[in-house]
This record gives sequence, structure tokens and C-alpha cells, in this order.
Amino acid sequence: MEDVLFNLWFSRQTHSLQDLRQAAVTSKVFVQRDYTSGTICKFQTKFPAELESRMDKQQFEETIQTLNNLYAEAEKLGGRSYLEGCLACLTAYTIFLCMETHYEKVLKKIAKYIQEQNEKIYAPLGLLLTDPIERGLRVVEITIFEDRSIGSR
Amino acid sequence: MPVGLSVDGALGYPSPSRPFRPSRYVPVSAATTLLVGTTTLFLCFTCPWLSERFSSSIPLYNVVIFLFTLANFCMATFMDPGIFPRAEEDEDKEDDFRAPLYKTVEVRGIQVRMKWCSTCRFYRPPRCSHCSVCDNCVEEFDHHCPWVNNCIGRRNYRYFFLFLLSLTTHIMDVFGFSLLYILHHTKQLDQVDSVVTMAVMCVSGLFFVPVVGLTGFHIFLVARGRTTNEQVTGKFRGGVNPFTHGCLKNIAYVLCGSQAPRYLGRLRKPHSVQVQPPFLRPPLSEAQLEAKVLDNGIQQSKSSLEIMESQSTDADPPPPPKPEHRYPGLPHTQNEECSLLTEAPATPSLYKYRPAYSSPGKNHTASTHSSKMSRGNSMTESPSVPVTTGQPSYRSDPSLSSRGGAGCRGGGEGGRAGSGGLGGASAFGGRSYPSFTDTLLQSAAASCSSSLRSAHTAHNALGPLISEGTTSTSYKSLANQTRNGSLSYESLLTPSESPEFESAAHDTAPGAPPILGYTSPFLSAQQREGSLQACPAPLRPSPNRAFLRPTSSPPSRAPPLSPRARSLGSPPPGPAPGHTPLGKSLSYGGGVELQHRPSRSGGGTSMPNSTIKQNVANHNTHSHKPAGGVKKVTGVGGTTYGISV
Repeated sequence: MEDVLFNLWFSRQTHSLQDLRQAAVTSKVFVQRDYTSGTICKFQTKFPAELESRMDKQQFEETIQTLNNLYAEAEKLGGRSYLEGCLACLTAYTIFLCMETHYEKVLKKIAKYIQEQNEKIYAPLGLLLTDPIERGLRVVEITIFEDRSIGSR
Repeated sequence: MPVGLSVDGALGYPSPSRPFRPSRYVPVSAATTLLVGTTTLFLCFTCPWLSERFSSSIPLYNVVIFLFTLANFCMATFMDPGIFPRAEEDEDKEDDFRAPLYKTVEVRGIQVRMKWCSTCRFYRPPRCSHCSVCDNCVEEFDHHCPWVNNCIGRRNYRYFFLFLLSLTTHIMDVFGFSLLYILHHTKQLDQVDSVVTMAVMCVSGLFFVPVVGLTGFHIFLVARGRTTNEQVTGKFRGGVNPFTHGCLKNIAYVLCGSQAPRYLGRLRKPHSVQVQPPFLRPPLSEAQLEAKVLDNGIQQSKSSLEIMESQSTDADPPPPPKPEHRYPGLPHTQNEECSLLTEAPATPSLYKYRPAYSSPGKNHTASTHSSKMSRGNSMTESPSVPVTTGQPSYRSDPSLSSRGGAGCRGGGEGGRAGSGGLGGASAFGGRSYPSFTDTLLQSAAASCSSSLRSAHTAHNALGPLISEGTTSTSYKSLANQTRNGSLSYESLLTPSESPEFESAAHDTAPGAPPILGYTSPFLSAQQREGSLQACPAPLRPSPNRAFLRPTSSPPSRAPPLSPRARSLGSPPPGPAPGHTPLGKSLSYGGGVELQHRPSRSGGGTSMPNSTIKQNVANHNTHSHKPAGGVKKVTGVGGTTYGISV
């Protein structure tokens, strides 16, 4: 009897331990840059085939589109960037030691957005977005985690 | 956040083990010494008199200009030009053998080639180039400037340009004011001040001409929206620059654009999000359920199912899918290169070499489908994988490779051979793809491997090879055009086997002149040259060389090969399940050079590059006809661009 109880307790422990462990990475999908409009930072909104069974197409497109818009904002040739340039010139670029550039500010915003998306949408689906700046703004990496929901429990 | 100040390599990652070369620092030291030294002398010896005689604002003005010049010089020297970090291993799961050297992408209607960088392990974005001095890929690479000992790229081009402008101004000022001093001291030229001022004048006068020349050149480049690299390689000489936005906008972009971020040396935040099962799943749609039912145990995506159905109604049979050369254990992920090419917009210039297909769209879906199919097949065709391992990827040609690689960088040549060898006979409509292609690939792989391995089986192998005409030549072109340079000759047959192969060619096609092209993959360079001398007969026109009509022979780089290339271009006797004649001609025209190219890890632009470009130009110019809506624009010494109309 005690053995049985012990086995039950032990299996419960290991089961909960398995829950706590991070899921295993199955594969990675790379969303490429979209160069059709030139060298501006823009990612392809085409839904990758690997994600078809994992998430909603609309959601994915929305995420990528938002990212594209943010990058467009960062690279916008407007009054803001011009003023920044002038100020930098006048101070012999020493302003860069104390001030953050416009692009960097938007990058921070993007990082926050990606974090938010991961927490709210992608992690529950077993996916993880990686900030493209880590890859030199060449690809958006989406990590697909192993789905152990089938057959577990 | 401070700007990305980093001495090249200082942050360690991109090129951590470069040997210390003091000679690299000579020009920059000289430039710094000259600039600072000359200006200091000027300020100390000439300016006191000027401030007394005229106004004290003169030295002040000169100091301001000098500081501005120095600031821009420092920024140009120390700022990260836009170095791309090396791609990590998981971005590039494909075997190097199979991956095409080039990928084509459409930029504002113009086809631009992206080359694989073997050092940095990714396909270089447009306008990116690998600097051999710094051993890094730099975004919007302009040039490597020895005077600042740094690459000039996207991030620091503005500072470089402003440095040139301010230096020109500064030199003019210094020279002008020194001249003024001398003209007022013609009677006191033996004084120290005068001597020093004359020396300053000489130095500034000496450097005035080259600096002004360089400044003028860069003003021209900025106005035209080109980089130095693009200008000197003649990329847009005959054509359209897809990166220009008009003169004013180009200037605005350079001077007023926001400072681009650096990619190196960024703190990588670890993901704070925990990803744990159970995971949510989106509800399956009707079509997805259908797809699952049709599944023969092989993964098929919904979109590929649709493509299958549309293909079955096509008049022209699509090519059999290329086998995806994946390790059997790996899942079918879409890696970096695949996802680029599965994008919907078809690039018309890619399809002009496939006469069987009337529309680029169909072709694209065909290849996409085939690639998807092959991805699905990879699990079942694992036995054939070792067979094809030693053989280079078929997708050698830049534009065609991207077409072929729609979704798959990794198609093995077994599938290619199969498509070439049996493409004409393939009838995909309505049949179950997996089994068909499986047998196809197996047989093709078998035929290819046998042809490579033993001469006596060359008869059998050559049968299908000759009739379809792609396989053997494709091997050669594959070898040359894949990312892995080491494949160029090692994987090819030894010379001893080639004579047998040639005779086999004679035997199997009696009455027909020997097909030199078929011998080429199996010969070393010397053998090939020898065989060319020995067998100058024109190649029998093969259906698969349909669109090779070089209007001009390939450049003098490979004179012995030109007759072959020309004969390649003879018109086909009939419709062909067109296959990469481009690849073949590339292999002929620039065969020798092509092999060497991949082995170079990619320093900037070089002559062999232009070999390929020239060859591309050759058949690009003439093969433009079939596909409607593509205007071919060729640079004289550089790449060609196809503008989709």
C-alpha cells in the first residue's frame, strides 16, 4: 500500500516537474525581408507554411504589418530626423553621447511590442518571436516549440 | 545611448582573429598627422597675423571648420559602418552542396541578385557587400577607405561625405589664407612664419586636387543614389537603379536620414516569456481537414493541395518536384532561404528559360508545389539521399536557381535529373504525387549515380540523359554555382573515365555529333580543354537548350569554351521540358572561373564575378523573348537587371 502511494506521489512530482520545464524547440521559421519597395526595413507578410497548423493567419499578418509600420516610422525622413542631424552637427556629434537617436527609441518600442505579442499571443500557441535586430534586421525568427499536448496527461 | 563607436573588430564578434597588420594603419596615421599637423601650423604661424591684419573671426572660422572636419573624420573612422553579425547556425540548416549561390529578389520592379556569403552565412541583402579587408558584410557597402581605415557603409556614409565636403572647404580656406599671407609678405619670405606658411600652402595645394576630385565624385554618387561599389562595378551603367528616389530625395536621405542602428554589440535580452505546453491550436478549416485525409502519411500543406489541383488542369506537365535534401530526422521547416522564395510575386525573368510554361505564375506555383512536394517526399526518399550526396545541386544558375528553389534551397540533383530526364514524360495530372515522384527520384538518382560511377553503365545513363539533355551538364553547372566551392571538381568524375564517357555518347547517339556538353561535368578543366580541341563538332541541339542563343560569344575570359557555348545556343528541334539551359551555358561560358568563385569567401567584387555576370548577360539578352513583360537591362561589365513591365 505504501509502495503504491509512494509511486503515485513520485509520478505526480515528475509530472509537475515536466510542466515546469520549458518546452523543447521543434524548429525555427524565418520570415524574410521584403525588398519590393527598396532597402527600407520591411518584412514579408506571407504566412509561412509551417505555422499553418499552429496559428491564425490574420494574427500573424497583423503582427508583421505592425512591425513594418514601426520600422517605417523609425526610418521616416521627416523633420525629426533632420533636426536630430542638425543638432548632431552643431555639437560635433557629442550629442550622441547623451541622447538616444530616434531609431533607437523606435527599436525600444519594437522590442516592447514583440515582448507583448509573445506574452499574449505567441507563447500560448507554442511559438516565440525573436526581435529581428538580433539578426541584423534580416529575418524575423519564429521558434516553434514541441507540442506535447497530444498524448500528454 | 551612445552611437555605435567601435573600432572594427573591437567588439570582437565579426572578426575576432584578424592578424594585426600595422601597414593598415599607415594611411590613416598619415592622414591624421597631415590634417592635424598642417592645421596646427597654420593656426600658430599664419593666423596671428591674419587676426591682427583683418579680423579675429578668421582664425575662429578656421577653427570651427577644422573641428567639424575632425569630428566627421573621427565618426567616419570609428563608427560601425553597418556590419551584419554572422548568421547563426540554425538559420542555415541546408547542406552547402545544394544551396544556390544566388537568389533573385525583385526591388521596385527590377531583379536584383543576392549572393550567398560563405563567411557570414546568409544571402547578402541588396546593396550589401563583403569587405575583404574587414572580413565583414556591410550594409549598403560603399567602399573600404584606407584613409580612415574603415568601411564606409550605411551608418557612416553621411559622416564620410561631410568629411569630404568639410575637408575640401578647409583645404581651400587654409590655402587661400596662406596665399594671402604670402602675398603680403613677399619681402619677408625668409622669416620662419613665411617658410612655415609656404610649406602649409604646398601641402594643402598638393592634397587639394585629389580631395576635390573625390568630393566631386561622391557628390555625383549621392545625387544618383549609387554607392561607390555600384559605380565602379558598373551595375547600373546600362540600366535603371532601383535604389534611387530622385536627386533631391537621395541627398535628403544621405544628409537628413535617421541614424541607422548598429547590429553588433547589442545586448541580447533573454526571453522572459516561458513557453510551456499545453498550447492552443487554431481550429482546422474544412480544407485543412481534407488535406489531412488525403495525406498519404506525407505532410502536405493546404496550399500545396490547391496547387496540385490547379496543376492537374494545366496543359503542360509541371516538372517533377526536386527532392529536398534534408536529413530524414529533421522536420520540414522553412528555413531562411526557403521562405524568401515562396513569396507569391513571380519574377518573370526567371521563367524565360522554360518554354513549356506559358505564364510565370504557373511556373512559380509549379516550382513551389514541387518544392513543397519534395519537402514532403524527403522522408520517403531518404534512401536516395546518400546516393545524391556527392553530387552538386542542380540549381546553379542565379535566376533559375531561385525559381527552382522556390521554397527549397536544397533540391538534390536527383530530382533535377529526374525532371530533366523524365520531365517530358511526366504526367502529373491527377496522379498521386508522392509515389510518382518517389520512383522518379529514385530512378533518376540511380541513373545519375550510375553514370557518375562507372563508364560501362554510361550507356544506360546516357540514354535518358541525352534525350533530355540536362543532367550531366547540370552537374557541371551545379558544381560551379553552388555555395560550396569545394564541389567544383572534386565531386566530378576523374579524367580517366571521361574518354569512355565520350565514346558512350557517340555510341548512344549514332550519327549525331558528340555531345560535348555531356562530357563536361566529368572532365577536369584540362580534359575539357583537350576534348574541345579534339572534338570541335558542334553540339547536337538538345531540347533543353532551347533558349540559349547567345548573340555574342562569351567574353575572352574563356576562349576555348566559346564554341561550345555558341553551339549550345542552337535552336531546339522541338518543345522541351525546358530546364536550366542558363545553368548549362553558365557552366560553359565561365566554367573555369566559376569554380573558383565559390571558394573565395567573398571579398568585394572581383573579376570572376563579372564572368558570371557577363554570361548571365549573354543569355539574358537573348532569352528575353518568351516571357512577356520583362525588359532586360544589362550593365556593360556588370549584372543584368530584368525589369518586369
